[in-house]
Amino acid sequence: MANLFAKRPGTPDSPPVIPGFEHIKRYWDPSRNLHVAKLLPGEYYISMRGEMITTVLGSCISACIRDRKLGIGGMNHFMLPHSARLDDWGGSSSSARYGSYAMEKLINEILKAGGRRENLEVKAFGGGRIVSGMTDVGRKNIAFLHEFLQIEGLRLTAEDMGSLHPRKVNFFPDSGRVQVKKLRSMHNDTIVQRESRYMEELVEAPVQGNVELF
Amino acid sequence: MARILTVDDSNSLRRMVAFTLKQAGHEVVQAVDGSDGLVKIREQKIDLALVDVNMPSMGGIEMVTEMRKLPEYAKTPILMLTTESSDEKKQEGRQAGATGWIVKPFSPEQLLGIVEKVLGRTSPA
Repeated sequence: MANLFAKRPGTPDSPPVIPGFEHIKRYWDPSRNLHVAKLLPGEYYISMRGEMITTVLGSCISACIRDRKLGIGGMNHFMLPHSARLDDWGGSSSSARYGSYAMEKLINEILKAGGRRENLEVKAFGGGRIVSGMTDVGRKNIAFLHEFLQIEGLRLTAEDMGSLHPRKVNFFPDSGRVQVKKLRSMHNDTIVQRESRYMEELVEAPVQGNVELF
Repeated sequence: MARILTVDDSNSLRRMVAFTLKQAGHEVVQAVDGSDGLVKIREQKIDLALVDVNMPSMGGIEMVTEMRKLPEYAKTPILMLTTESSDEKKQEGRQAGATGWIVKPFSPEQLLGIVEKVLGRTSPA
């Protein structure tokens, strides 16, 4: 009897995943003839082997960062938590700490894979105002990103942020190419719900790691 | 009040650390990577170092190893401040002579708490 779970013929093996990214959903896209990694809010992924990274953004931001000489790059998907307590933290709010962390994790992974800071180029997408009447979290996310890049001295080579649309973003780290598709509002419910859940998780989870004394 | 060195290749991270420590009354010295850090600790005696792990030119583990070879820094507390959370990396840091390991992100309160704790350990009674 045929094994129903056997791989379909013609589907190439997924390129090996970089340790730490095993939980990211990846699949083979036969129409594009390549492997795709799909990001949810809060996730990030880097690739060195001709994969495409895709995500859908409402008010969240994705930074697509790559070493333009090596073709190593990745994408994140984040937003700043809504914080009631705006304590001053080096000139920015405590919620910016979360954004810095999301950016830094992605940059560090690229540097660890051999990338160099001076060769990094950044493209950024999202930050749409997808719910009318709601506080404009998208704009806050965009302002954070610009400030972060300026402080870090990183170049923004392309951007499509703001306005009222959700976006689907496809990023090809080896070439640096990005496809952005603005989505109609009829799809917004899923995106809004997913982002609201993510926002709630951010508020509940304190933004801090572990401390260990040896 | 202590003189504290923060070593990180990220400007925004150094800014956050420096801002927090200065608010608590500490003096802050900044370095952009391990080799810069080794230069800075020879220019002036520091009481505590906060060191990132992954940095260009010289990483944090190597810097700690070199720092511990200097007699005047044999007992100075050194905290690694990093996005790395694997046990292997922690063990490397411990073997190099680090005092502790802080996984980013961190809150200002958390940072100050651990800083006061390790400074209190080493300051003369």
